[in-house]
Amino acid sequence: MKTLAALKVLVVEDEALVSMLVEDMLSDLGCIVVGPAAELEEALRLAGSADIDAALLDVNLGGRPIFPVADALRERGVPFAFASGYGEAGLSEGHKGATVLQKPFREADLRRVLEGLAAQVA
Amino acid sequence: MGRVEEDGFESLVARLAAAEEALAEEVRRSRALNRIAEAIGAGHDAGSLVQTVVDGGVELTGAQFGAFFYNVVDEAGESFMLYSLSGAPRAAFEAFPMPRNTAVFAPTFNGEGVVRSDDITQDPRYGRNAPRRGMPEGHLPVRSYLAVPVITREGTVLGGLFFGHSMTGRFDARAETLLVGLAAQAAVSIESVRAQEAARAELAQRRDAEERLKFALDSGGLGSWELDVETRAYLASDICKANYGRGPDDDFGFADLVASVHPGDRARMTAAIEDAILHGAEYDIEYRVRTPDGDTRWVHARGRAAQTADHGGARRMAGVSLDVTERKRAEERQRLLVNELNHRVKNTLVSVQSIASQTLRTTETPEAFRDAFEGRIMALSHTHNLLTEQNWEGASLREIFDFELEAFAARDRIGFDYVRDLQLSPKATVALGMAVHELATNALKYGALSVPDGAVRVVWALEPDETGDGPHLRLTWTEQGGPPVAPPTRHGFGVRLLEKGLAGELSAQVNLAYDSLGLVCTMRLPIRALEP
Repeated sequence: MKTLAALKVLVVEDEALVSMLVEDMLSDLGCIVVGPAAELEEALRLAGSADIDAALLDVNLGGRPIFPVADALRERGVPFAFASGYGEAGLSEGHKGATVLQKPFREADLRRVLEGLAAQVA
Repeated sequence: MGRVEEDGFESLVARLAAAEEALAEEVRRSRALNRIAEAIGAGHDAGSLVQTVVDGGVELTGAQFGAFFYNVVDEAGESFMLYSLSGAPRAAFEAFPMPRNTAVFAPTFNGEGVVRSDDITQDPRYGRNAPRRGMPEGHLPVRSYLAVPVITREGTVLGGLFFGHSMTGRFDARAETLLVGLAAQAAVSIESVRAQEAARAELAQRRDAEERLKFALDSGGLGSWELDVETRAYLASDICKANYGRGPDDDFGFADLVASVHPGDRARMTAAIEDAILHGAEYDIEYRVRTPDGDTRWVHARGRAAQTADHGGARRMAGVSLDVTERKRAEERQRLLVNELNHRVKNTLVSVQSIASQTLRTTETPEAFRDAFEGRIMALSHTHNLLTEQNWEGASLREIFDFELEAFAARDRIGFDYVRDLQLSPKATVALGMAVHELATNALKYGALSVPDGAVRVVWALEPDETGDGPHLRLTWTEQGGPPVAPPTRHGFGVRLLEKGLAGELSAQVNLAYDSLGLVCTMRLPIRALEP
């Protein structure tokens, strides 16, 4: 179990304004932002090899679904949450039941989700 | 004795001759009756049949003229009277109204019995009815009169046969007998012809109805089908077969039908059919179909099983089928569109949240916040307007500048230099729209556009693929004639958006040079991240 302080969080988000907000919120919470990755290839690279404790994934990355990145993280045992305007309805069959941060969200919502993820970090 | 005998002989000869003549007359009449009866029996339509009857009646009775008045019911259910004449031109009757139910005519039209008179004008029933009290002026000169009702075996009066002669005493009892027989014959034949006509009319109506049904089914693209519950024999119309990708001549039985249903929907479909057959449930189902060509279509099938009381279940099931692929695709498009809209709205809300949050971090006073925040929301709104005009398919680089700078105070001091405009994706449009707003606002507040002589030059060009990562767009925003500028001590929203935001979102390399002559912003953007 880790605290949010210095928690290394991979951010995958393709819209600059959104990722800037998430970065600010994560910094306020004391986390270290990895990324943000705006493209699937970059996100896959970071998910596979970067030094990260958790990840926050935009479900739709420039029209391409994010699920390969989620699969890579699951493979590595890195806990993650989806950020989506769709809610859980936008998730693929294999990822139903995953943590979803509904857009838009408050800093407190993000904190709650991250604390949940941090609790899964060994 | 001789005279007597002679007289007796002559009388005998005369009587014999009279008898022979009577016999000949009877034979003639009988033959005529047979011939007429045959003609009546051969009649195929009511009009020619009644003409045969009235002609025959004139022949049999030796009347000068005859008429058959008969009731008909038209398609609207209105009853009216038609007539057929013999021995007199039609013009002889046309001037007169139809016979009324006068004392003379009533026994005939009411089916009460025969009226035979040697001189109808002397009949007590004659001339009793106002206003004419007798035959109207110009009427055929009738003295001898014979009228027989034509009545069916069930007692319905079909009409009456009327015969007349201008001389008195022309119709004897024998004529009456013959005519009664003729009337009976006529009644039977008319009934049979009417029954045939009704059957033909019903058949024609059914054919019409079937034609209309087929037309309605065809024009609605509806196929029709029938299923024999026991044998599972399945009969499909051409359109029904077409719904499953089959031609009119292709075999398409029940097994083919079930096999063509998508495996994922097949169990649901067969269960629905069984439910309809066993429990009389409404069969109303949509399922996917695989055509022999490998296409997937959606079919909507509806039907009902006809229940039989004696059989304890259904023997036959029938219904329609409709290709609803287009509607299903439209529904899918609609669903995607609504999801996409929701996604955009939510992302836009986050964008607004982000702008508010960052503007709040970089402004000192509520007034400054309001000023900067409103400007950025308007910038976002301008790009949305542009995209909406283009049906959210993107916009060109020049259009982005034009929309963002439309109401901009120093618009005429921003010049452009490029060879080719470039079409951008909606995502790139939104990102660059905000970047243009930040550059222009900054120039107006602190840069070249803050003094009267300052100007901005916007130049862009395509760079060919030199580094192996595809062609790039190089765009420079060069400010001239403004106050000397120095790098900001604190990174505001604009700088962050340009340097980090665009870098992330559009994989751009953005450089801000704070030249003593003014700000120069250089962007190098990969075309793959910009194009629609």
